[in-house]
Amino acid sequence: MSNRIELPYTRFLDPEGRLVGELPVWADDFNLLTDLYRRMVLTRLFDQKAVALQRTGRIGTYAPTLGQEAIGVAIGSLMRAEDVLVPYYRDTAVQLMRGVRMEEILLYWGGDERGSDFQDPRSNEDFPICVPIATQSLHACGVATAIKIRGQHRAVVTTCGDGATSKGDFLEALNVAGAWQLPVVFVVNNNQWAISVPRRIQSGAPTLAQKAIGAGFHGEQVDGNDVLAVYDRMQWALDRARHGKGPILLECMSYRLGDHTTADDATRYRSAEEVKAAWQDEPIKRMQAFLASHKVWDEGREQALIADCQRQVQVAVDNFEGVGIQPVESVLDHVYARWPAALGEQREMLLERVARREEQGHE
Amino acid sequence: MKYFKLPDLGEGLQEAEIVQWHVKVGDNVKADQLLVSVETAKALVDIPAPHDGVVAKTFGKEGDILHVGEPLLGYEGEDADAGTVVGRLEGGGNAQADSFFVGAAPSTREHLAPRATPAVRQLARQMGVELAALAGSGPDGLVTRADVEQAAQSARDSFGGERLRGVRRSMAINMARSHAEVVPVTIFGDADLHRWPEARDPLIRLGKAISAACEVEPILNSWFDGRALSIRQHDKLDLGIAVDTPDGLFVPVLRNVGGRSAEDLKEGMSRLRADVKARSIPPQEMMGATITLSNFGTLFGRYANPVVVPPQVAIIGAGGIRDEVVAWQGKVEIHPVLPLSLTFDHRAVTGGEAARFLKALVQALEQP
Amino acid sequence: MSNLNATTEKRALLEAVNMALHRAMQEDENVVVLGEDVGINGGVFRATLGLRDRFGFKRVIDTPLAETMIGGLAVGMAAQGLKPVVEIQFLGFIYAAMEHLVSHASRIRCRTRGRLTCPLVLRSPMGAGIRAPEHHSESTEALFAHVPGLRVVIPSSPARAYGLLLAAIDDPDPVIFLEPTRLYRMNPQPIIDDGKRLPLDSCFTLREGSDITLVSWGASIHETLQAATRLEGQGVSAEVIDVASIKPLDLDTLEASVRKTGRCVIVHEAPRSCGVGAEIAASLYERVLLDLQAPIQRVTAPDIPPPLYRLEQLYIPSPEDILAACDLVLNYA
Repeated sequence: MSNRIELPYTRFLDPEGRLVGELPVWADDFNLLTDLYRRMVLTRLFDQKAVALQRTGRIGTYAPTLGQEAIGVAIGSLMRAEDVLVPYYRDTAVQLMRGVRMEEILLYWGGDERGSDFQDPRSNEDFPICVPIATQSLHACGVATAIKIRGQHRAVVTTCGDGATSKGDFLEALNVAGAWQLPVVFVVNNNQWAISVPRRIQSGAPTLAQKAIGAGFHGEQVDGNDVLAVYDRMQWALDRARHGKGPILLECMSYRLGDHTTADDATRYRSAEEVKAAWQDEPIKRMQAFLASHKVWDEGREQALIADCQRQVQVAVDNFEGVGIQPVESVLDHVYARWPAALGEQREMLLERVARREEQGHE
Repeated sequence: MKYFKLPDLGEGLQEAEIVQWHVKVGDNVKADQLLVSVETAKALVDIPAPHDGVVAKTFGKEGDILHVGEPLLGYEGEDADAGTVVGRLEGGGNAQADSFFVGAAPSTREHLAPRATPAVRQLARQMGVELAALAGSGPDGLVTRADVEQAAQSARDSFGGERLRGVRRSMAINMARSHAEVVPVTIFGDADLHRWPEARDPLIRLGKAISAACEVEPILNSWFDGRALSIRQHDKLDLGIAVDTPDGLFVPVLRNVGGRSAEDLKEGMSRLRADVKARSIPPQEMMGATITLSNFGTLFGRYANPVVVPPQVAIIGAGGIRDEVVAWQGKVEIHPVLPLSLTFDHRAVTGGEAARFLKALVQALEQP
Repeated sequence: MSNLNATTEKRALLEAVNMALHRAMQEDENVVVLGEDVGINGGVFRATLGLRDRFGFKRVIDTPLAETMIGGLAVGMAAQGLKPVVEIQFLGFIYAAMEHLVSHASRIRCRTRGRLTCPLVLRSPMGAGIRAPEHHSESTEALFAHVPGLRVVIPSSPARAYGLLLAAIDDPDPVIFLEPTRLYRMNPQPIIDDGKRLPLDSCFTLREGSDITLVSWGASIHETLQAATRLEGQGVSAEVIDVASIKPLDLDTLEASVRKTGRCVIVHEAPRSCGVGAEIAASLYERVLLDLQAPIQRVTAPDIPPPLYRLEQLYIPSPEDILAACDLVLNYA
């Protein structure tokens, strides 16, 4: 018996931006479509700036989101304020759509916890970026369990990379989501690389989407470079989740065009030819071509958009660089709701340490 | 299934042998109906049913031994909840309502004992100073090293004595240490010296005789480590000889007493004496004795219980030789007699070993 | 305690836990109990007995058999403002959930500057002495006590189990609540279900004394109290302190007692090296060195896995072991 499981694979646009299938009705709204495009461009320009800030020593290690813009923008534009995002660390696009401020993202990667204290009400219940792999899948199930216990019509979206699907946490999350029919959408950004380990040796499963089958629910593949395809399937999955119809796993096929992080050098483990070929598939170019072919986009609009995005990004960078360092006591302020009296002397210890360093600094 | 377990049949008997079953599986039994006869170490006992029910299972056949608490019979029906999936939870006990203080007890504000660093406590112990009697001069009443030293000095001042120095001081320390550690037993004996050509200074004879006694009971010629509880026997006798001086007690060591001639020993001894007298004896000449001899009889006295100095396990005291009336071959005669005392450390040496040693010593001395 | 009347029912530690869970669920609808077998079966030790009938399956949840999942789920639920009370069947099975406790539960408040919090309680039976199979007898409280952001609480009597569990559920931060299995059904005592909380972060002085301070927690309190009674017979007045909150440690109470007595023996069932006893001893040396009449002694398990049950009693400090240490401390100088 073959181990191949036939799962749906959705794509509307080919790499040249030509339609390869009939678009759903929602796609008649060209304002929406150009808005998706604008968001992808903003994400990419912000991402480029973040890498540049790291390269000039103004933020620390950063995980570029280059090539992943379509997935995040589609998810982010569909989630409602009351939905909850439980992301991983390559989710700049969704976070921006959820109202997380650019300067917050820069603060986080720039070494300041305030970057995860999202000020926009839309992201108030969202989880911060999750660094250990796949643990967030379970947190999402916990959030979804709370929603289900309370009988609310809200959905949870959790993201991860292809490598994370190997981890027990991911599989335990799928299992409990299936067992309890939780309102959660698992989005696997299959960008083909888990740092240096390629997808083909990450798992023996022909698709990652089929891991949902073992947990008793539906999984699909979608072209993660086609923002319309991701949007369409995400809309369907979120709607199901909000209506108590259980979880969905979407495997978004993409390519990590950048390094794993700014501390990584992907040329050590993959060829320039492969990356060059992947650039042919990238999401922004095809959407631009699609919009241009429908006469709703042109070079003038493109230039205006880029100028506008760059201005927004620069404002954020200026804001980020204007934020002073946190007061020292703040490292104690949120370890517990109230710093326990029993640990009181450690507060003194820390303050003395600060005083000593200030003294040395003055000498 | 509900289990009826072999009950404690009294007097702490832990097991019973099945003699005869009176019921079988499927029987409907009534409370107190005879179930099984068992034999314990003390008696044949009939065990009745604890309550009504249908027998689902019997455990053990005639001749089998069962232990208290093991299932004897199973009734049909639901088991009582064991309340665990693993192991066994002990129940029982019966407690009063808990009473406790949140945080510290009220008495923690009681008067506090003196405060001092461990090093100062150690110093106070060595100097015999009672910390509780001191008002500390340090912060918060901390007792300092200076406080302890001052207290010790003022204790000496109020005693008004003169501070010991040198040999006398080390005698005081060594004797006290020995007294604290050794378990001394002393036995006494006399050597009849009438066969000696001339009963004068017996020192060298004593040395040779001790050496002979060591051949008989070598364990007396040992060092003993009371902490490690280990003992080391010596092949040679290095005899410490107590020498009295105006400055105090000196104990130079006469080496290899068994292997040297009397003349050689005599010469060695006079050299040691001269060095002691001149206070020029090197310290190493006073170290390493394996047995000590105190020849106090040259001054006065008969018997003594001299102090064993660790790690040695024996010391011999030789009293003054004097003419005594003795019974000799059925007649009353007057012979010169040397009174001897042997003190040994009973941690290392038995009474028998010591007695045989002293006997051998006397026999060696009684040779012509 | 004075208003206790003779009709108050006596309850052992396990029943006190059950009573506190009922109370907490009644008081606050955000309290949710979850774990393996906690629902229909009432928990493998019956700590959650009756909760599902009373509060329903949405609040008393039988989970799939996956401890990592349970740990992660609780973090997500707590971030939504629920107060999950998680049961891990035995402490020996908690390690699969460790990443969620160490990397998420303990620090999500800190990472988000208080935007998200984790008011969960994780209950687990701990310790040896019930003749259980392997992996059911561990005392690894020190692992959790080492993690900033967690609280670790270990009750040693029914009354303290009741009052501390209620306080743990109230607490806005994650609490690891370890229940000494050996005491589950021992020594029932009268308890009033009055909802009174006991303070976290505080020791409890079980017995006032002036000659020596015995410090312990969990099941070892039982043997420590026995040792104290025997010391009394020898004319030695022992103060017994139940640490109860292992993290954060109420050093002030310990300090006050040892300042008074000048002598201290610490008893714990966990292995010695890097045990909580080491933390207490080091802190006391820093604070009360000058008042100590003798070095602090520890009575602990050796650094070995708990032996299978034929020899497990060897692992658990006995009253005689405690008395031997007391003898050293009392006769030191």
